[in-house]
Amino acid sequence: MKLTEIPVDGIPYDHLRIKKIPVTPAYAPRDQELLAASSRALVVNPDRICMPIGAMWAVLGVHRAIPFVQGAQGCTTYARYTFSRIFKEPATIATASFHEDAAVFGGRRNLVEGLRNLVVRYWPEVIGVVTTCSSEIMGDDIGAFIKEAREKLQAEIGPEKMAQITIVPVNTPSFAGSHVEGYDRAAKAFVQTLATRRDAPSNRVNIIPGLFYPGDIREIKHILREMGIESTILFDISDTLDAPLEPPQSIPYYPPGGTDVAEIKEMANAAASFALQPDAGGSGARFLERKFAIPAVVGPVPVGIAATDTLLQNLSNATGCSISPALRAERGRLVDAMADTFHHTMMKRVAVFGDPDYVAGITQFACELGMTPVAVSAGTESKSFAATVEATLSQYGHLFLDQPKVFNGGDLFEFEEYLKTLPRLDLIIGNSKGVDIARELEVPIVRAGFPIYDRFGYQKRPIVGYRGAELLLYEIANAVLDYRYPDDRTQQL
Amino acid sequence: MVIKDRELQVLPECSRPTLPGVVSERACVFYGARWMLAAIPDVIHLVHGPVGCAYYGRTVRRKSYRLLSTGLDERDIVFGAGDKLFNAIAASTARYPEARAVLVYVTCAAGLTGEDIAAACKRAAGETGRKVIPVNSPGFCGRSQATGHDIAAAMLLDYFIGTGRTRELIDNAVNILGEFDIEGDLNEIEKLLSRLGLRVNCAFSGRASTSAMADAHRARLNIIHCRRTGQTLADAMQERFGTPSLKVSFFGLAETASAMRAVGGFFGVVGVDEIISRAIQKAQNEAAPFLQRTAGKRVALFFGASRIGSMAKAFKELGMEVIMAGSQFGCRDDYREAEAKVANGAVLIDDAHDKELEELIHNQRPHLLVGGTKEKYLAHKMGVPFLVFPQEMGPFAGFRGFVNLARQAAGLVSGPVWRLAGV
Repeated sequence: MKLTEIPVDGIPYDHLRIKKIPVTPAYAPRDQELLAASSRALVVNPDRICMPIGAMWAVLGVHRAIPFVQGAQGCTTYARYTFSRIFKEPATIATASFHEDAAVFGGRRNLVEGLRNLVVRYWPEVIGVVTTCSSEIMGDDIGAFIKEAREKLQAEIGPEKMAQITIVPVNTPSFAGSHVEGYDRAAKAFVQTLATRRDAPSNRVNIIPGLFYPGDIREIKHILREMGIESTILFDISDTLDAPLEPPQSIPYYPPGGTDVAEIKEMANAAASFALQPDAGGSGARFLERKFAIPAVVGPVPVGIAATDTLLQNLSNATGCSISPALRAERGRLVDAMADTFHHTMMKRVAVFGDPDYVAGITQFACELGMTPVAVSAGTESKSFAATVEATLSQYGHLFLDQPKVFNGGDLFEFEEYLKTLPRLDLIIGNSKGVDIARELEVPIVRAGFPIYDRFGYQKRPIVGYRGAELLLYEIANAVLDYRYPDDRTQQL
Repeated sequence: MVIKDRELQVLPECSRPTLPGVVSERACVFYGARWMLAAIPDVIHLVHGPVGCAYYGRTVRRKSYRLLSTGLDERDIVFGAGDKLFNAIAASTARYPEARAVLVYVTCAAGLTGEDIAAACKRAAGETGRKVIPVNSPGFCGRSQATGHDIAAAMLLDYFIGTGRTRELIDNAVNILGEFDIEGDLNEIEKLLSRLGLRVNCAFSGRASTSAMADAHRARLNIIHCRRTGQTLADAMQERFGTPSLKVSFFGLAETASAMRAVGGFFGVVGVDEIISRAIQKAQNEAAPFLQRTAGKRVALFFGASRIGSMAKAFKELGMEVIMAGSQFGCRDDYREAEAKVANGAVLIDDAHDKELEELIHNQRPHLLVGGTKEKYLAHKMGVPFLVFPQEMGPFAGFRGFVNLARQAAGLVSGPVWRLAGV
């Protein structure tokens, strides 16, 4: 590894031919006091976003739903940019357009008029009202505002049309958590507002996938289909944020798919709820358990062999459906691939960063591959992450070459500086925010997690399930090969 | 929204607040401030707000910049974060000791808690021995990012522009106002100006180090490229230092040529026409094969503000018919300029939101839509090719930029994918 100052991701080098100019001329050891994220007032290169965008992500996974963001225009526009850059899809998100008057008088007028303007333009079936820092600090009474908006709207469009519009408030003060918690709160808000008990329990299961990509959700659906399990996936972005291009398109544009309101209502009658990402969606499953006594299975994140085994076993236990031979064959193929690539993956020192759930899952898979996770960093602080990762590391600890270091809720500056002190590092697994770190350290990076905006296709390629793990394994193995054997004459496998 | 009519000559209403509840293409004041300031290299950019704003604010014009944050959390909102801001400034200057100044961006959250941010900055300035400047840009304090541009421009004028001690003019130096060095545009413009023997002292703010800004008053001419972001700076510099200004555009052959003539004329350069006619000849030859494909195609433009007029002209030079020219926050002058350059029946629209764009695409069926990333994928779903201008596939400025524009437009309108999609 070469120790030079990172071209602080900031320096604008828009063209390759433009030389990177480091802010400081050469690497200088850092002030130790500044290194730990917990000991400074400053956040450098955060690996988390704000709460509202997590809630917007969730709402976009509901059929004919539009998030309404109770904040300034930027809260919407920045999020729409982010979704566009990651999914390469349009994201229809309405804004309350807070201007000075809203800051003085509160957001009542914006919400009441805004909901009306949104409805008469788009006729959505669901509106998720997502709050922001500003509306939360001003203390907007969202419940009362929505009630007033509904009354006014009903007078205008009539009770019949009004009955077809569901409004779900999601409180997401950005300063109180990250996008992971925003998604979590949305999951709880939707089941809390919509799920209704009937005296007809079904054998369906609820799946709350968390911040997984369309490709992952398709893989989950594949597993459920193979096992013959009927399910409700809240929030199903597999079609809404990966829609086919099939003009002519009727307007207003709504992507196909998404979870139906009727399905969300039925979630109160399911056999069990599975939250695949404990921090993003766990609250929804736990709410259903508390209120309707539907068993909640929270985690583990189904990345790798053991976690997928657990998921399949849990699904089987909850429904009585058996694990099909086809799925067993997929597992066998994954194990085969692991055996075939093992001499390239074993004893590799790997650093993993990203959202806590992603990191917990990927770290376990890396251990299964015989790798040593030397640094593991969750951008959002999380209790379940700490517990899961600790369990994984102690289970595989006897194989490690180095002592792993766990960062819970740190920023990427801290992570990067720690990596620079390591004598050896073979691989980084994480999202696009780590590309510059990998370049600087001259180690390969495997992209996984949220957000990935600098390459195509990752949002469609699963990492969950046996098949997803196999694809991730090939990414890892090929990254190692590309790096170790860049010359094709030495690449005869 | 108006439809161009030669008799009536009406312009769309503009500079109005956005309707709540629509899917607006506008952004917030903080976004505008970042747009203006992000590229200033040798200062610390510190966002006083929750981490989200810093995460988003890092990416400006599809480039990633260094951006620090105080990362306000619940405790800070309840108990106040003045000390945290002070500590963050101290920590950031310790981290980047070579920075000349610290810009503290105020976000919605920090603005609403009503802290005395100016006092914290003042205290930190004393402690760190640097300028610590609050950029008062809470997202809600204006109608669009335009307010952010103005706030940032005022800040630059107050703290950076013309602060150098030397007063005498540099003979061949010019500033470019409202040029952000997107995808190499500035390089193209710089090459053209160097043909006139001119040197770019400072480009606001694509290439604006603190020392270049300090010397900005020594330039003999301010060239305004983007009216929205450049005009206020030009007016203030005219008043303060007497620097004259010229509004020009480097997009399209005719516009670039007249820009060269105007600037050359100002400096009394001889032989400009010769340079121009050779360059135009060359560009036309290179663009000719592309123009066959673009000829007669309909194009719709939707930009931030000022470039609708000059780009409408550039697309006309490609033989395309401009059926719509719209902007998020253009001013009257922008629409007047655009109105003069589009044909009868074309739509002029201000602050179009997603639904309006959708209907315009649906009803008018352009062969090409030109605008920003947010609108791109909607256009694709409706079967219309899209050119992200100017942040992708550039440069588009100057004579060579025009050839590139022709190339991109020709490629997009004749892409096989649209036939395969069944359009």
